[in-house]
Amino acid sequence: MAASAKPARTGFLSKDYFERMTWVDWVLNALRVLILALVIIGATNTLLSGKYTLAQWVSLIMSGLAQGSIYALIALGYTLVYGILLMINFAHGEVYMAGAFTAYFIADWTAKSGLLASAPVIAVLIWVIVAALVSMGVAVLLERVAYRPLRGAPRLVPLITAIGASFFLQYTFRGLYGTGFKSYPAVPIIQGSVAIGGFNILIAQLVVFFSALVLMLALYWLIERTKMGKAMRAVSEDKEVSRLMGIDIDRVIVFTFLLGGALAGAAGVINGLYRPQGVNFFMGFFPGIKAFTAAVLGGIGSVPGAMLGGIFLGIIESVGPSLILDGLGINSANQLKDVIAFTMLVFVLIFRPQGILGERLKEKKA
Amino acid sequence: MKRSKLLLVLTAILVLALSACAAPVAPAGDAGSSDTGSEAAAGGGDATCDDAIGCIEIAPGDPLKVGGMLTISGATAYLGEDSRGGIEIAVNERGQIDGHDITVQIEDSLCSAEGGQTAAQKLAADPTVVGIIGTNCSSSGAAALPIVSSAGMLMISSSNTSPVLTSADTEAGGIWQPGYYRTAHNDLFQGRVAAEFVFNELGATTLATIHDGSPYAESLAAVAADVFTELGGEVTYQGAVNVGDTDMRPILTEVSSNPPDVLYFPFFEPESDFMAAQAKEITGLENTILMSADGSLVDSFPENAGEAAVGMYLSGPYLNPENTAYADFLAKWDEEIGGVPPSGFHAHAYDATNMLLDAVQAVAQESSDGTLLIGRQALRDALTATKDYPGLTGTLSCNETGDCATGEALGIYEVTQAEVDGNWPPPVVYTP
Amino acid sequence: MALLEVDNIHAYYGKIHALKGVSLTVEKGEVVSLIGGNGAGKTTTLRCISGLIKPTDGSVTFDDDVVADYAAHELVPMGIAMVPEGRGIFSKLTVQENMEMGAFYRNDKEGIKQDMEHGYHIFPRLAERRTQIAGTMSGGEQQMLAMARALMSKPRLLLLDEPSMGLAPVLVELIFDTIRDINQQGVTVLLVEQNAHMALQIANRGYVLQTGEIILSDNAASLRKDPMVQKAYLGID
Repeated sequence: MAASAKPARTGFLSKDYFERMTWVDWVLNALRVLILALVIIGATNTLLSGKYTLAQWVSLIMSGLAQGSIYALIALGYTLVYGILLMINFAHGEVYMAGAFTAYFIADWTAKSGLLASAPVIAVLIWVIVAALVSMGVAVLLERVAYRPLRGAPRLVPLITAIGASFFLQYTFRGLYGTGFKSYPAVPIIQGSVAIGGFNILIAQLVVFFSALVLMLALYWLIERTKMGKAMRAVSEDKEVSRLMGIDIDRVIVFTFLLGGALAGAAGVINGLYRPQGVNFFMGFFPGIKAFTAAVLGGIGSVPGAMLGGIFLGIIESVGPSLILDGLGINSANQLKDVIAFTMLVFVLIFRPQGILGERLKEKKA
Repeated sequence: MKRSKLLLVLTAILVLALSACAAPVAPAGDAGSSDTGSEAAAGGGDATCDDAIGCIEIAPGDPLKVGGMLTISGATAYLGEDSRGGIEIAVNERGQIDGHDITVQIEDSLCSAEGGQTAAQKLAADPTVVGIIGTNCSSSGAAALPIVSSAGMLMISSSNTSPVLTSADTEAGGIWQPGYYRTAHNDLFQGRVAAEFVFNELGATTLATIHDGSPYAESLAAVAADVFTELGGEVTYQGAVNVGDTDMRPILTEVSSNPPDVLYFPFFEPESDFMAAQAKEITGLENTILMSADGSLVDSFPENAGEAAVGMYLSGPYLNPENTAYADFLAKWDEEIGGVPPSGFHAHAYDATNMLLDAVQAVAQESSDGTLLIGRQALRDALTATKDYPGLTGTLSCNETGDCATGEALGIYEVTQAEVDGNWPPPVVYTP
Repeated sequence: MALLEVDNIHAYYGKIHALKGVSLTVEKGEVVSLIGGNGAGKTTTLRCISGLIKPTDGSVTFDDDVVADYAAHELVPMGIAMVPEGRGIFSKLTVQENMEMGAFYRNDKEGIKQDMEHGYHIFPRLAERRTQIAGTMSGGEQQMLAMARALMSKPRLLLLDEPSMGLAPVLVELIFDTIRDINQQGVTVLLVEQNAHMALQIANRGYVLQTGEIILSDNAASLRKDPMVQKAYLGID
C-alpha cells in the first residue's frame, strides 16, 4: 500500500510507463484529466456564451491581480520563515492584522487632523511605517517567546504553538481595540479610475499592484545582493556551517521575522488603501490561510514562488468562478471561489508536489 | 485483495462517522418530563411542584441564573457582545426577584452548529438556569434547539431570523420545538416588507440578491426574491459570497452583466461594507440602488461603507424616534458598558431578557423557607401568552410557535450623508 | 602557553560516550594531525574546539580564552576557522558568495577584496568559477572552495576535517601541498584525517585517537615508524 505512493519518475513517452503504473497513478492521472477537462469545458462554454464583455474580463483580472499582490506580500512572510526554520508560522496572519489594525488608528488621526488631505503621500507613508513597525514587533516577539525556546523540538510542537499564539494575538488585539469593524479613511488621490487601452482600471488597483511590486523587487534585491540576504540563504541551507562562518544564526532568524513582519504590515496598509473596510481583530485569519496556500502553491521556501503563487491564486479566485463554473452551469459560482482556488492547488500539486517554483526537499533538510 | 478490504474498512468508518454526526441532533424525546418533576416535588415546602415537565428550584439565598448562548469569539463576536449588553442592562435593572439575586452565565455558541450544540449542552445541564437568551445565529440556534427543548428549558433568541426555527411544519423544513421563542422578526416578514418596498415604493422592476451562505441571509434573500416575483417583478440574479470574503468585485461584475434596478444583500458587516463600497466602482451598476437588512443596521455601517452608503436602504426593526425608552437605554449602555452597542440586536436581547424575567416573576412560587419553585411548562405558557408587550423593539406578541415580533414593527431606513458623518439612526422612509 | 589546549574533555554523542578524556595541544605555527579510524571521535573533538558542541567535562582553551564561554560564531573573529567534514559549502550560493560568507564578521571591504584575490591566487580554478553556483562544481573544487572560504576569516588556527575524503589521488596531493603553503604563511593547522600517510607527511606532530581516547602521541616522523601505527593506519604489515 504505502510503497505504491512512490511517484513514478518515468515520462509519458517511455515504453514501460503503462506497465509501471500503479493504481494510485491511475487515480492521479484520472484526476488530472478530469480537472483539465472541467476547466476547458467550463471556460469554452462561458467564452462562447458571450455573457461577459472584454471590459468585464479585464476588470476581473485586475481585481485578481490586486488581491493576488496582497496575498503575495503576506505569503512572503510564510516562505521566508519556512526557508530558514522549516517551520510554518501559522500566526503570520495575525502579524498582518496587528499592523493593519494599529495603523488604522494613525490613519484615522491623519484624516481628522487634515494631514491626509494636505499631504496624502506623507500621510500614507506614515501609515505604512507604523504598520510595518508594529508587525515587525509582533513577529519578533513571536520568535522570541513562542518559537525560539522550541527550536530543537519535534516539528509539530512549534506548529501547535503557532496556532495557540495566533489565538492569543487575536484576543489580545480584540481586548485592546474592541470587536467592532473599522474602516481606513478614503485617500482622495487614489479614487476613481483611469482609461488604459480603452479599459477603465481602478487607480487603487494599480497602486496596490505597483507598490507590491516595488516591495517585492526590494526584497529580491535584499536577498540576492546584501550581506544579510546572503547570510539568510546560507543559514537556510546549512545552519551549522553558517555558525562556522561566524554568522549569528539567531540574528539572521530575527532578521527574517523582521522582514516578514515589515512586508505583512505594509500589506495591511496596501489592503486598506484598496479595501478600507473590515478592519477588525479577525481580519488576519482568512488572508493568512490564503497566503499560506499561495506560498505552498508557489513552492514553500521559494521567494519568487510566493510572489507567483499569490498572484496566481488571486487571479484564479477572481476569474475562476465566472470563467469556469459559470460555463459548467453552476449557480452562485462566486460562493465557490475557494473551491476553485483549492482545486487548482490540488491540480498544481498533483503535477508538481513541490509547488510551481519549489525544489524537492532534500532528505537532509526535511 | 488487500485493496478491497481497505475499501470495506473505509466505507465502514465513513458510515460510523456519519451516524456519529447525526446522533446528537436527534432529540432525547421526553426524557425531561418524569424525573425533574419528582425531584422538585420532594424539595418544596408548602408550595409543591405540579408542573407537567418539572420545576426549577432555587434554594433560599441562592441566585437564579439567566443563561446566554452568544457568539463571543470569532468574526461575529460583536453580535454576542451586543446581546450581552442588552441582557446585562435588563438584569441590572431588575435587581432581584423575590429576594433572589439574578446572575448571568454566557456560553460561547459561536455562529455555527457545533457551537450551538456545546453551549446548549452546558446550560441544559445546569438546573438553576431559568431560561436562555440566544442564540445569535440561526445555524447555532437550530443545533441548540432540540437540546434545550428536551431538557424542558426555553430559549429566546434576539437575532435568529430564519423562518424554519419557528415553523412546526416539518414537511416544509420546519424545526420548531416547544421552548423556542424569539424577539427577532422572522425573515418572512422582513423579506416581504423589503420586496414590497422595492416594487411598490421604488417602482423597481428588476432585483438581484446576494447572500453570504448563512441561513439568515439566505432565507431573507430567497423570501425577498420570491415575493418580488409574486408581485410581478423580475429577479435577474441570485448569488452568494462567503463569510470572510473581502473582494466583492468578481460577483459584482457578474451582477453587472445584466444590471438590476435594486441589489439586495441582506448580510452583516464587514462583508456588507465591502459590497456597498465596491458596488459603486463597477461599470454598469452606477444606477443600481443598494439595499441591505438589519444585519447591517448598525451605526458603524455607514461610516465603514463611506460615501457609497448614501442613498442606500436598510430594512430592519422600526424604532420610534419619539419613544424615549431607547434613548434611555443607550444612556445606560454608555454608563454601564461604555460607548455604543456594536450591532443592531441589543434591544432585542434586552426585550427578550425582560420578557423572560417577567414570566419568571409571574410563575414563581415561594415556599415558606424561601425556596423558589418555577414550573417549566408554566414558564413556557406564560411566554407564549405574551401579548402587546411594550418592548424597545416595538410591540411584541408571541404566537404558538414562538414568533414574538410581528412584521408590523419593521421599517425601511434610508442612509444619508448625515449617517456617514456619525448620525444614528437614519430616517425611516417606509413602514408597512 | 600553547595556542590550543584541549584538556581532558568528555563529550557524548546521544548516549554514546564519544570522548573519554581527550587531551592535546597545538603550538603556534605547527601542523598537528589527529588520526584515527571511523567513529574514533576525531570529528567530535573538532566540534568541541570550534564551539559547535560543549564538552560535558574538561576544557578547551584557545589563546587563553575558554572556548566553552563563547558561541561558535563568536570564535570565528577570535581566530578559529573550520572546514567541516564533507566540505559544507553552500551549494546554492555562488563561489564568490561562499567566499563572502567566510568573511562574514569582517567589515573592511578593501581587506576582504585583497584576501579574496589571495584565495583565488592559491586556487586559480576558483577564480575561473567566481559566478558559478557552488553546488555544480566537482568534489575537488568544492574542497578548494571550502578551504579558501575558511581563510577569508583570517584564522590563526585552521581546523580541517578529512580534507582528502573522496578525492582523486592527484587532488589529494594538491590539497596537502596547499595545506603546507597555508601553514608556511603563518596559520596553525589541526588536521583530522583517516589518510594517515598524507597527514603524517606534512605534520610536525600527531595524535592517534581510538574509541574516544588518545592512545599515542609523538612527532610525526616517530609515529610513521611506530609498528602499531604502521599496522593499523598505514597499511604496512
